[in-house]
Amino acid sequence: MRIYNPGFALAAAGGEKIDLKPVDWKSDAIALFSNSKPNARELLDGLKAKLSGLRTVTNIDYVAKNSASQPAPSDLIEKVAANYRGALLAIAD
Amino acid sequence: MTNLAEQELIDVGDMDVVAFNDFAAEQGWSDGLPLYLPTEQAVLRMVETVRGDNRPFAPISPRQVLPTLHGLAANAVMAGCRPEYFPAVTAALRAVLDPDYNLHGTLATTHPCAPMLMVNGPARKNLGINCGSNCFGQGWRANAAIGRALALILLNVGGAKPGEMDRATQGSPAKYSYCFGENEEESPWEPYHVRRGFAASDSVVTAMSAEPPHNINDHGSTSGEGLLTTISNTVGQPGANTIYGRGPLFVVLGPEHAQTLHRDGFTIETMQEEIWRRSRVHVSKVSKENQESYAGFNRPREGDWYPLTPSPADIHIAVAGGAGKHSAFIASFGGTKASAVRIAP
Repeated sequence: MRIYNPGFALAAAGGEKIDLKPVDWKSDAIALFSNSKPNARELLDGLKAKLSGLRTVTNIDYVAKNSASQPAPSDLIEKVAANYRGALLAIAD
Repeated sequence: MTNLAEQELIDVGDMDVVAFNDFAAEQGWSDGLPLYLPTEQAVLRMVETVRGDNRPFAPISPRQVLPTLHGLAANAVMAGCRPEYFPAVTAALRAVLDPDYNLHGTLATTHPCAPMLMVNGPARKNLGINCGSNCFGQGWRANAAIGRALALILLNVGGAKPGEMDRATQGSPAKYSYCFGENEEESPWEPYHVRRGFAASDSVVTAMSAEPPHNINDHGSTSGEGLLTTISNTVGQPGANTIYGRGPLFVVLGPEHAQTLHRDGFTIETMQEEIWRRSRVHVSKVSKENQESYAGFNRPREGDWYPLTPSPADIHIAVAGGAGKHSAFIASFGGTKASAVRIAP
């Protein structure tokens, strides 16, 4: 007997993987990205404090979505990609 | 070893329904309830019902994959759908794929939301969708199977596996199936879909990412004014996701409550205004920590009040159910919209 696979689907166009450039976490500009849930900022504050013992933090910035429940707008993601070599995302809840 | 995920058709040999259910559970295809076998014949019968509808589907979150009709139909078969239900299932899928519905967020959240489906128009009678007594409950195949088919599609095609991409803290029974029809025949107002711009002869599925129905019991109030007091104070509670997520909600009036409100002159618009104003949550009911948190979300209160929806128009009012002095409100996830899609004829 043959059955149709209920999990079968096709890959969407544009989903190709790209090679990421390596990030130097000790010197590159990085974004601390908040998912805008309660306590995300506190998590990122702690992370920034820890990083201050390893590197300069003058090129570390906070970024946040404007809604906890909705995706980050594409222009915000593009801005982060353009201005930072790496981003650390706080998935708070 | 063959990767089953890459095969649209799978030869499972001589497998009965019991063995299939064990197999499906191993594959992660099950919602925990017994499934029908998505045999080649059953799936093809289902697909035939939507042959005239060639509109492409958007990628489904969270896997971000493009569904095939056969894959969707396999889920509808497993859910117990009759072939004629399938156009309603694909319309429901299109509704949740509306970007404003925010499918990814609603599936990945810790909130217990599920896709609520309300059907309007002739499909209710044609498919046997319950709009009357116990409309949110058990006993009607169309309600159970259509809602379940969408849930299985989001699980199996979308990849919203509980505990993995579906991160619900507690979830809710509505995640098994959540489908009902509007009781247009006992509504004193225009049907919901007509108020949204569809023709009365259209069949429409409206989807909202929602909590299960919350009962509004009022046997004592004999006036529309009294009923609105009860309804609004039941809706207005500080634990609502929409207090900071801001989004729509449904008030589903039982026919008896609807008749009382209509007799006393309330229109859909005046009820929306009154419920919006009276359901706002007073600051005294919100903890200090939450007040600070909501301010941080750019959700400042308005005076001493937190509105639960952005505007009165975000309070959607419909009529459903049978005899009795009960209504329901259905809170949404928040960052979502009630998306309405016509069922292809």
